[in-house]
Amino acid sequence: MIEVRDVALAYGGRVFVSGITFSLRAGEVMALVGPNGVGKTTLLRAMAGLHAPAAGEITLDGRSLGELTPGVRAREIALVTADAPIVDGVSVREVVASGRLPYRPWWRWAALPDDDAAVREALARTELAELAERPYQALSSGERQRVWLALALAQRARTLLLDEPTSHLDVRHAFEALRLLRALAAEGRAAVVVLHDLNLAAAFADRIALLGAGRLLRCAGPEEALDEGLLRRAYGVRIDVQRRADGRVLAFANPEA
Amino acid sequence: MTSAGHSTSRRVATLFGLACGCAAALAVSAGVGAVGYSAGAVARAVLHPFGSSTAEQVLWLLRFPRVLIAALVGASLALAGALLQGMLRNPLVDPYLTGASAGAACAVAIALVLGFALPALPLVAFAAALVTAAFVAALARTGSGISAERLILAGISLSALFAGVVTLVLVMAPPSSTSVGILAWLGGSVAGRGWHELAWAALYAAVGAAVAFGLAPSLNALRLGDERARALGIDVDRAHWGILGSAALLTAAAVSVSGMVGFVGLIVPHVARRMVGSDARWMLPACALTGAILVVAADALARGLVPPLELPLGVLLSLLGVPAFLYLAFYRRTP
Repeated sequence: MIEVRDVALAYGGRVFVSGITFSLRAGEVMALVGPNGVGKTTLLRAMAGLHAPAAGEITLDGRSLGELTPGVRAREIALVTADAPIVDGVSVREVVASGRLPYRPWWRWAALPDDDAAVREALARTELAELAERPYQALSSGERQRVWLALALAQRARTLLLDEPTSHLDVRHAFEALRLLRALAAEGRAAVVVLHDLNLAAAFADRIALLGAGRLLRCAGPEEALDEGLLRRAYGVRIDVQRRADGRVLAFANPEA
Repeated sequence: MTSAGHSTSRRVATLFGLACGCAAALAVSAGVGAVGYSAGAVARAVLHPFGSSTAEQVLWLLRFPRVLIAALVGASLALAGALLQGMLRNPLVDPYLTGASAGAACAVAIALVLGFALPALPLVAFAAALVTAAFVAALARTGSGISAERLILAGISLSALFAGVVTLVLVMAPPSSTSVGILAWLGGSVAGRGWHELAWAALYAAVGAAVAFGLAPSLNALRLGDERARALGIDVDRAHWGILGSAALLTAAAVSVSGMVGFVGLIVPHVARRMVGSDARWMLPACALTGAILVVAADALARGLVPPLELPLGVLLSLLGVPAFLYLAFYRRTP
């Protein structure tokens, strides 16, 4: 689906991460981890076609993202960004229904036949049906994160790119959000999710892409990606990794080291 | 799709009520003036264009074009305000941010000093308004897009510059008729405008409004922020240029026939959002109708409060409208 080939990312002319190569397959959940400022969000934006790489190429089904029109790109790739202010007075349903905009010609005002079903399904899968008519501003930060996830679901894109979708969620809702991603992957979609919790990444992702020290240090299954040496190189602190008998991998920052 | 607290049926009813209110305001306003006409006389005149009676002559030659121009000015300024507030996600923005009105006022002041004939002033104002808005847009340009901060800074700076030039002309202009003409322009008025002015201002306003309504889905996406709108496939740069262009056209059409009519473009979008929510598909028509009602009613008051004296339209709107809005905004909370 999405191929990232030898991509370098720059901001203000300064390249801060380079040599990123991986492919994202249908049915896969990939966790993107790494320290603050390493370029995780910028990589997601580049994969959504919103940030041009300084070098390398990102393709969707063999076609460069730059060749696709914004509308086609948005039907294929949904980007869920961190919470940012929106105007007052917009209901949850309106926000989620915005996910249908890529399917409408610019001049079309009315909803398309599929729109209502897509919005209803997105609200139900994110447990937001009862909050649908509430103003977005009246929600808690955790509920807001579920609204943006619901918008991405209503978009019905094959690829979901999520920037810290669980940062404001309690443990139950974080699990449910990531289980939902797994269910979507089982339906054939692919997801890249930026996470800071390495254990959540290990528990829910098929592969972990570890960014650090200005490059992609590893992109592999949790057992291989969560390597103590690589984690220390990425984060600059000691992180102990335990491999349990049931195959689970657990990572703990060691403050005494 | 509904926004918080606004069902589709309620919105349809609100728009229908506003359309009826607009028709009523036009009819009542047409009857107000030095010689008053009843609603029945106005209705009869509508059915007999340019008939032989004095009432039909007065209404068709003087009142009808005037009230329609008032409606056009109100609708255009309200739409332009809604467009710019939506684009910048800033409720303090008004159409004059583009510098259009200040540029027009400056050009009119200079034209009066140079001895231009009064009928030429709307054209001068229209051209100056568009040129100023284009200059502000050029200053606000970054890459292929428009920077909100640069737009606000450029608009405010140029408006201040032009206001300074107007004041200078007022101080220096020798004949009092020139000063009176400039002050009349600054006060805002639709007095003495006819079908000719209405026709060409309506043409440009219609183009601006058509673009504005076409951009409603983009405006809705922009409510979520530029980045999210881009992720939803909206060409944000193109939407910004379209919004700015249509707002400039609407403002130029309005100021060219009315001079400086403030308050409408700032306040009416707030009132419309309270009535139908922020979905541009409903908010834009509500804005146009509310703006039209407001200016038509204010023009009737301007003529009818202390006849035969006519109060400046823009001044009256500010004096009556701002307290009313402050009451609505701060003391009558919506449920």
